Amino acid sequence: MSNSNGADSNSEKLTENTSVESIKKYLTFVSDNLIFGIDASYITEIIINHNITFLPIVPYYIKGIINLRGQIIPIIDIRLKMGKPENIKEDGSNCIIVLNIDSTMLGIMVDNVQQVLDIDTSKISPPTVNNCEELVNGMVTLSDGSTVLTIDCDVIKRT
Amino acid sequence: MDNGMDNMLDMYLFETNSLLEQLDSILLNAEKSKLFTVDDVNEIFRIMHTIKGSSAMMEFSSLMKIAHKTEDLFFIIREKGVETFDAVCSEAEHHELFNLVFNTIDFMRSEIEKIENDEPLTDNIDQELEKIKDFIDKINTHLGNAQNSDSTESTNTETVAQSAGKEQNKAVNEDLPDKSPYFLKIFFDEGCGMENLRAFMLVTAIKDVCSDFTFYPQDIETNSETSHQIIDSGFLMGFNSKEALDKSLAVLKGQSNIYTYETIENEQPAKEEKSSSNETAAKTEKKETKAPKPVSNSSSSSHSLQNKQSLISVNLSKLDSLMAIVGEIVITESMVTSCPELAGLKLDSFTKSARQLRKLTDELQDISMSIRMVPISGVFQKMNRIVRDMGQKLNKDVELVLIGEDTEVDKAIVDCIGDPIMHIVRNSMDHGIEETAEERIKNGKNPKGKITLKAEHTGSEVVISIADDGKGMDTQAILEKAARNGILTKPESEYSKKEILNLTLIPGFSTNEQVTEFSGRGVGMDVVKKNIEQVGGVVSISSELGEGTCTTLKIPLTMAIVDGMEIAVGKSIFTIPIHNIRQSFKVSASEIIHNVDNSEVIKRMDEFYPVFRLHELYGLQTDVTNIEDGIIIWVEAGDKSYCLFVDELLGGQQVVVKPLPAYLNDFNIKNSGIAGCTILGDGNISVILDISNLYLKAQNIN
Repeated sequence: MSNSNGADSNSEKLTENTSVESIKKYLTFVSDNLIFGIDASYITEIIINHNITFLPIVPYYIKGIINLRGQIIPIIDIRLKMGKPENIKEDGSNCIIVLNIDSTMLGIMVDNVQQVLDIDTSKISPPTVNNCEELVNGMVTLSDGSTVLTIDCDVIKRT
Repeated sequence: MDNGMDNMLDMYLFETNSLLEQLDSILLNAEKSKLFTVDDVNEIFRIMHTIKGSSAMMEFSSLMKIAHKTEDLFFIIREKGVETFDAVCSEAEHHELFNLVFNTIDFMRSEIEKIENDEPLTDNIDQELEKIKDFIDKINTHLGNAQNSDSTESTNTETVAQSAGKEQNKAVNEDLPDKSPYFLKIFFDEGCGMENLRAFMLVTAIKDVCSDFTFYPQDIETNSETSHQIIDSGFLMGFNSKEALDKSLAVLKGQSNIYTYETIENEQPAKEEKSSSNETAAKTEKKETKAPKPVSNSSSSSHSLQNKQSLISVNLSKLDSLMAIVGEIVITESMVTSCPELAGLKLDSFTKSARQLRKLTDELQDISMSIRMVPISGVFQKMNRIVRDMGQKLNKDVELVLIGEDTEVDKAIVDCIGDPIMHIVRNSMDHGIEETAEERIKNGKNPKGKITLKAEHTGSEVVISIADDGKGMDTQAILEKAARNGILTKPESEYSKKEILNLTLIPGFSTNEQVTEFSGRGVGMDVVKKNIEQVGGVVSISSELGEGTCTTLKIPLTMAIVDGMEIAVGKSIFTIPIHNIRQSFKVSASEIIHNVDNSEVIKRMDEFYPVFRLHELYGLQTDVTNIEDGIIIWVEAGDKSYCLFVDELLGGQQVVVKPLPAYLNDFNIKNSGIAGCTILGDGNISVILDISNLYLKAQNIN
């Protein structure tokens, strides 16, 4: 929500006043060789190698539920959610980012996490029109030349 | 401040509701025995008085006025003597009185409901007031005549006592106020009404912060005439220290409806205090003996005070979180004691302490569960009213028999079963019991109908049955009606009696051709079913034509902790509530019968039951697919009985039910046989199966 709004309002501002900067912290992670960024304010913690309990009936992209210190949290595989092949590691390890989106707790399973970056939200451009990854609401190019796709947390929450 | 107001409102609602309930039961008893006892009248008077006082304090004027008028009515009855009243009034008038008071209670209830829902109160209550007033006039003329002719002596004692109290009061008023060093003179808002009660509230509030003070006039609680005195000359409070005065001022500032107050320093006694401390000590002693007086004035109020001290009311959400924490402790305890790192070690003292811990956590769990338990009698008592009211309106003479009122169930369950039981009782009254006594006599029954409400514990469940000895259900009529409503799912001839009776629980079914005031809108029984299922219970109906109907509600005692059986399918662990399991057994392939559609059926105890393979239902990977390798669990929930094929049994365990994350609710998970989940001793999660919904899921697949 704040992301998309930020992008819209900031693109308007760009035409008027380019000097206004709004820096936000983003955590970047890799999934299927793509770099994604997620607003760090949503992130509760990052856990690795947690035991996931399989849950029947639910859609394939929900890997199951975990017990995080007594809290039951559903886990979404970002790869499967985006229609990409599952990343099966031989040692069974996994990496989960636990998010708290408007007090809905859920975890997303990613290949690995990278770093926390300061990203100027005014520099985030909206995704291209033929972009079918509904999870992504923006793109930004970093100083090292790599491109980060920003994730819309509201879309994740909406199942 | 806001919070304080809310708390006060909560307390008010709680108190008033329980008083009205108490009133209900007094009246019902009195009506049954056809006369009032002195105690009854005093109690009713006291209840109305309390409601009046607290409503005035909360500024709910309609309630206050109604209560005031009713209080007047009972005041007259009390004044003139209960025996005289009982003797003078005809049966019809008695009847009218009961109806009047019941109506008043209902009106008050509806007002309370409005307060609860944050709606504005009824402004125009003249009609209600008028009714009571008419009745007062009526009995006044009656009683007036009667009083002239006979007993005047028995009735007057009370008035004498009262005037005596007043005299004593005056005497006190003249000399005592001089002796306290500090005085507070309080005037209430002009025209706020009930000044004496407001003053009494103030006294009670100040009692919380300091006990050592005096107030004039003294009989404010019982004598409403003191309000004139308060209006004219103010309400006086005497304190013997500056500290007490300051504290009371702080309290005073928090009170509403106070117009003005002034502090008066009484110089003389202050000096005396300095000069002769002995004398002041004597004085305080004197005051102390005065202070408890208003309390002991009426024995009933002191009695209720004692009751209050041993009972506290707690917000249910606090108990919920207590329960949750206790649940966590139970799990953590088993996590610690069965820690895999301890395996193989010989730890004598650890084992000993662990055992002690286990004992304590068990105790803790029992106690925290028992805190939430309340007797079911509250719900049952309400039915008395319904049977009475409906019996009058429908002109049916019905007796309600209550059995096992003391049975205790979880508070959450009590809240949920009130409406269902009411629906069923109404149904019994309306459709169950025969229209006329003649019809009953013709069928060889007692002309007086009977509805039996029964509650009992059976291990992990509480069973509530509502039975009537009415005409019973006509299965043929039900079937025809169901066919007309188009809710039949198979040919009529295939329905068993049990299935036919269960048709009445389907939404949109009502056997009564005509919609009556009480039932027949076709929403009753399915609401019953839904409410009961919400608390994990089941509804079943049995009925014999001409002999009556019995509706049975089976409800688990508590929803938070269940005894479960852990089972494994592939890598997944599931928990089946033990009370759903009838039997578990191994089978040989020859025992399995294949149906036309290749589904599996097994014969147990001369009946056929379908076999569902859990790994097929949930699409789980498992090596155990041969029916001889795994194990069959025969489960039962309500009227559904079937067998589940699983890999193996892991053992029984007490588990704490946790709801699944709300995020997953969108996937219709609840209707697919998953009730929730639980955390096992090793930290892993086990999914709790809902046996009745799992059956529906299995049927959809097949």
